[in-house]
Amino acid sequence: MQSSGDILEVDGIGHNFGGLSVLRSVTFAVADKGIVGLIGPNGSGKTTLFNVISGFLTPQKGVVMYRGAVLGSQSIQERSNRGMVRTFQTPKVFENLTVLENIMVGACKNTRTTILQDMGHTPRSNREMRTILHDAEQTLEKFELTALRDTLASVLSAGQRRILEIARAVVGKPSLLLLDEPSSGLNDTEIRNLRRWIVQLREEGLSVLLVSHDMGLMTVSDRVHVLYFGEIITSGSMDEVKQNPRVREVYLGV
Amino acid sequence: MAGRIAPYVVLLIVWTVLPFILPRNITDLLVFAGIYAIAGFGVSLLLGHCGIVNLAQAVFYGVGAYATAYLTTELGYPSIAGVLVGAVISVVIALFIGWPILRLTSYFLALATLALSIIGNALFYEWDWLTQGTLGIGGIPKLNIGSFALDTPMRFYYLAWTVAILCLVLARNLTNSRTGLMLRAMRDAPDAAVSLGVNLQWLRTRVFMLSALFGSIAGSLFAHYSSFVSVQSFNVDKSFSFLLIAVLGGARAPWGAIIGALFITILPEYLSRLGDFHQILFGVALICIVVFLPTGLAGGLEMLWDRLLRLGPKPKLKQAAHAE
Repeated sequence: MQSSGDILEVDGIGHNFGGLSVLRSVTFAVADKGIVGLIGPNGSGKTTLFNVISGFLTPQKGVVMYRGAVLGSQSIQERSNRGMVRTFQTPKVFENLTVLENIMVGACKNTRTTILQDMGHTPRSNREMRTILHDAEQTLEKFELTALRDTLASVLSAGQRRILEIARAVVGKPSLLLLDEPSSGLNDTEIRNLRRWIVQLREEGLSVLLVSHDMGLMTVSDRVHVLYFGEIITSGSMDEVKQNPRVREVYLGV
Repeated sequence: MAGRIAPYVVLLIVWTVLPFILPRNITDLLVFAGIYAIAGFGVSLLLGHCGIVNLAQAVFYGVGAYATAYLTTELGYPSIAGVLVGAVISVVIALFIGWPILRLTSYFLALATLALSIIGNALFYEWDWLTQGTLGIGGIPKLNIGSFALDTPMRFYYLAWTVAILCLVLARNLTNSRTGLMLRAMRDAPDAAVSLGVNLQWLRTRVFMLSALFGSIAGSLFAHYSSFVSVQSFNVDKSFSFLLIAVLGGARAPWGAIIGALFITILPEYLSRLGDFHQILFGVALICIVVFLPTGLAGGLEMLWDRLLRLGPKPKLKQAAHAE
């Protein structure tokens, strides 16, 4: 396989939905501490590919490798515990929890108390709860959500939900962040902040796979792959991709 | 600080004094309310924190009761053995049945638990070598603490409610812990919770096991208190009662089950004095609560409490006085 510098390798993924071939032999990789973008018009198979990588869908063909090991039948939760976290196209926040509590849920995976210890409020359970709270508070500050700390997530705007979802995903210190359409519903300032955070997260050692049709945001990527009807039609830097005549034709509509 | 403790002190005094001032038959109902509340905590945790409708609680209640009845009468073991054996069997059943059925969601899961309740009751009926079927097992010894026999409603009242309060504290601790947080997350957006590393099925199974444990303990207490158990006490109706306790009380507040249990034991008693149509009145009361108090009686009381606090300017004055 490819060199060991890749955190994620997607090899020959194919998937059909009732005879309709949504993905046909998609192959690409995300380098360690790299930012890779995946663009494509609606219906090009971006979300299906995303679901395959994050474990929501088992592909009919091909393999996904993470840190050099085939993921196969590993559950979503196992993938998450190994450091792969995703966000959703429509943000799925925990509506009846506050912003702080939402982020605390993301921090839970680094703790190991049992239900009995939690019921007894043992010293270990309390200590871990303090760790969770501490991590969540720090992340809250980093994503400038401190003012919304005790607000219920159900009253947040679309943009705030998006940012909360990202904050919640990174608080558990993952190695690979999968962002599904992170800029939709965000205003210009929020998109600028998002770019800044993505770059900052990479500096902290995170690898990012970004699915979007927002060309502006895509420029943070080291490498962009263009998906069209289930196939990668070209890859390269954003500038190179933009110049590709086929991309201009099928994607930009020029 | 004193202001925060005061309501609890008042409650404690009321709780201690109640059996002395109430007639014996009402104290008897309060004992049942305490026992039902314990089983209700389990159903309430599942409903309020996992969004799971559990209609199988009567099975675990029955397992606890029969374990106590069989071990203490047939085998002559001490009471604690009955409680422990019942608890272990219930938890094991919950593990092996919960693991496959908790993959289901919403009403499919509710139906699966209903089926479990029906099957459980049928088995209690069929296995008469163990349960004596409709004849029932009588002569279950009263509980003793040392040489002190809990042989009156008043004496049992203190035990049942001490256990109930203990279970309440445990349930409240759980909801305030990381497990509680993950449960609520799972209830709101299961996909997102899983992708954050929450082990959905195992977590749900563990809460189901915990719920079964509460049900079993309540069943053992019931067997000791009534000294007679028969299949009629563990039918599907009883499962519905436990669910009603959780819904009426308000499943999101841990203490909702206590309010719900008091409601379904005490209210019918008073309504029955009004004559034949008391069951209709009880039904009307249920509908009113569900319609007007979607968060249950506990939610309603919390709202009332908040309003009272806001109406009264006293707390502020008190603070000012302290400052001076």
